[in-house]
Amino acid sequence: MILPQPREGMHTVSKNNLRDPSTLDISDNDIMEAMKEIGGYVDITPGDARQIYRLAYHHALERLLRSAKAKDVMTRNVVSVKKGTPLKDVAEVMARHGISGVPVIEEDGTVAGVISEKDFLFHLGFESARSFMDVVARCLSSAGCISICLREQTAGDIMKSPAVTVQEETTVAEIAAIFTKKKINRVPVVNPTGKLMGIVSRADIVRSSFPAISFQGTE
Amino acid sequence: MNYFHKMKGTTKSPPRVSFSEMVWSWIGAFLGVAAVGFVHFRMVRDTDLVMIIGSFGASAILVYGAIKSPLAQPRNLLGGHVLSALIGVLSFKFFDNYIWLAAAVAVATALVVMHATRTLHPPGGATALIAVIGSQDIHNLGYFYAVAPAGAGALIMLLVALVVNNIPRKRQYPEFWL
Repeated sequence: MILPQPREGMHTVSKNNLRDPSTLDISDNDIMEAMKEIGGYVDITPGDARQIYRLAYHHALERLLRSAKAKDVMTRNVVSVKKGTPLKDVAEVMARHGISGVPVIEEDGTVAGVISEKDFLFHLGFESARSFMDVVARCLSSAGCISICLREQTAGDIMKSPAVTVQEETTVAEIAAIFTKKKINRVPVVNPTGKLMGIVSRADIVRSSFPAISFQGTE
Repeated sequence: MNYFHKMKGTTKSPPRVSFSEMVWSWIGAFLGVAAVGFVHFRMVRDTDLVMIIGSFGASAILVYGAIKSPLAQPRNLLGGHVLSALIGVLSFKFFDNYIWLAAAVAVATALVVMHATRTLHPPGGATALIAVIGSQDIHNLGYFYAVAPAGAGALIMLLVALVVNNIPRKRQYPEFWL
């Protein structure tokens, strides 16, 4: 079966995107070819066949999102930092693992907050910075860049707190909704005592929604 | 504006079937109609029985030419003909003074009953109509019209369909029974 390729817009797997037929488009010609392969007279127009395909695809996707839980899609070996970790080390950890955000944990293992690239940007001295390019532009137009005080600070100083967290039993559909509503890209998964169990990113959700594509990609 | 726009259509005609599909459709239709025709003209000739009616020509198109269609499945073939026959006979008994009315009621009601029972089979409409506008021989059959020709004829065509439609490797019949 030909599955649609992931596109930019699909990173937010919200209810709205699911309903958008353009994300899973097949053409009348695809249907015509399929009908020819079946051989006998198929008693349906290509248009109706495509509509059935689309609707069925939505149902399959929603079933998948409803049934899959955080524990099924989360990354278990989470890279995390302590509240007292100096920001220099936090940045190094993020760079080394190629990640754009890490959970910050208390000494007892509970999640205190989350630090993302954005938090660094906002604390580089440009409170109004909206994006990376915004910071670049300001750096190029002024003498200095890095705020000195950032060097002295620790993860606990700039993290977003309290962290938005989910439980292991939270469904992927709920997580997708949280991503969209809170405009965040990852959410720590905690057990009932607040201890960090894993993390779910937008990429995890895309992978769980389109297993066939991920599979093709790793072949 | 939207109303007229709808008349433009939205998609295209399904592709032409393969040559072998045409050949096997012909063989099926030939044998199916030959079977009911043979029973009608050779076996029950000297009785009051009727075995062939016009609607079987339409059934042949479906059960030998569009064998994947839900309309062509055994449930629909048998159910559609028998139920429509009953509706047709009933309708004729009720409105025999107004044949045009009996005909219209027969076909429209047969359609709804077939829908309600998930036995939609277009030739059933003809079976219902023939019960009203058919010959004196047909009218003489009374409710037996639902047994033969409607039920028995459909059954013969079904048997032929089961035999013929499963011979080619790529063909399979039926899609479902009930």
